[in-house]
Amino acid sequence: MAKILIVDDSRTSRKVLKTILEEGGHEVIGEAIDGMDGLTKFKELSPDITTLDITMPVMDGLQALKAIKEVDSSARIVMVTAAGQHTNMVDALKLGASEFVTKPFESEAILAVINKM
Amino acid sequence: MVNQLFGNYLVRKGLISKEQLEQAIESQKKVRVKLGLIAVSEKLMTAEEAAEVNKLQAVMDKRFGDIAVEKGFLTDDQVGRLLGLQGNQYLTFAQAITDNGFLTLEAFEQAFLDYQKELGFTATDMDSIKSGDADRIVPLFVPEGTDSVQVEYISVAVRTILRLIDSDAYIGSASWGRNESFDGAAVQNLRGDRAAGFSFGGNGKALLSIAVPFGKEEFPEVDLDALDSVAEFINCINGLFATGISGKLKLDMLPPSYRNGLVKVSADRLVKMPVYISGQEVMLMCAFGSTISI
Repeated sequence: MAKILIVDDSRTSRKVLKTILEEGGHEVIGEAIDGMDGLTKFKELSPDITTLDITMPVMDGLQALKAIKEVDSSARIVMVTAAGQHTNMVDALKLGASEFVTKPFESEAILAVINKM
Repeated sequence: MVNQLFGNYLVRKGLISKEQLEQAIESQKKVRVKLGLIAVSEKLMTAEEAAEVNKLQAVMDKRFGDIAVEKGFLTDDQVGRLLGLQGNQYLTFAQAITDNGFLTLEAFEQAFLDYQKELGFTATDMDSIKSGDADRIVPLFVPEGTDSVQVEYISVAVRTILRLIDSDAYIGSASWGRNESFDGAAVQNLRGDRAAGFSFGGNGKALLSIAVPFGKEEFPEVDLDALDSVAEFINCINGLFATGISGKLKLDMLPPSYRNGLVKVSADRLVKMPVYISGQEVMLMCAFGSTISI
């Protein structure tokens, strides 16, 4: 079981992802509504895994990924995004993201990614 | 989609009732189309020939196709092709309507010809409608001057609605617009090689027809949480569109936004297409070459 922080500006996505993760036996220890909020909560909560949406206002997922990696280079980050952002995905992997999952969420695919981390 | 498009025409013309349409669509899910009905629909046999084979089939332990070949009504190749059409949505709808006794096959076929006249479509266009394939149907319902990329954009949206929201959803004729007003709307723009934008607007509780199935949550009204669900659905459509078009155009998605109250949806030029989801009319709006503001 992993302690997970969800960072996504969409309440719907946070709720659906939280349900999937909790049904998969994981604990969601916090939710953040944008990259800046995510960075603050990452420092407060020290999650095992952080899920980061890419398209967010204030600070987007790539900026948040970079900032979190500066705080903790070993942080395990899963990028979450709609299909179609492959360039961003490549950038994210270069910046140190461990994995990525795409929306709309499919519980089996998400749990397979989280469980192997 | 053909069952809803043509079915609503039948209701509008008073040929069947709304309740009969609902019953036919429900029973269509269990229908296996008879070969005789397909053969008549494909104009390879007359209704009388099909009836003759049906009578013979009642007293012979043989399949319809075998008897039709023996009688010289069909060739083996034709039977093979007809068997391939058994899952066709138009034909399963025809069978559901005729099996329930709402219309005869002749009346059904005549109404389809009248529907073609009303739409002003060619026989090829009607074959596209019969196919039930969103990619073939959408181009028939967009206004003149719609960019091919925009057609692709709308097709992705309609396919995604059918896949994730309501498999019985259907579309109406689209038109050009600039300033549209709704009780609630959500939008997401894309930038990159070209600007583009996509929005759903609706009045009353219409947008709940998307928000509830996509968010898997009941909402009492079209509040901001419900609109967030609609915005996330748009995000999925845009992601799929951006993936599909990535060989030709590079597009990045911007964060979606949404509002309720009296909302004005504006763009230099947008295609607005009514989509009927679970009995509600939602307006799908798509701009290409400019963004959409709310």
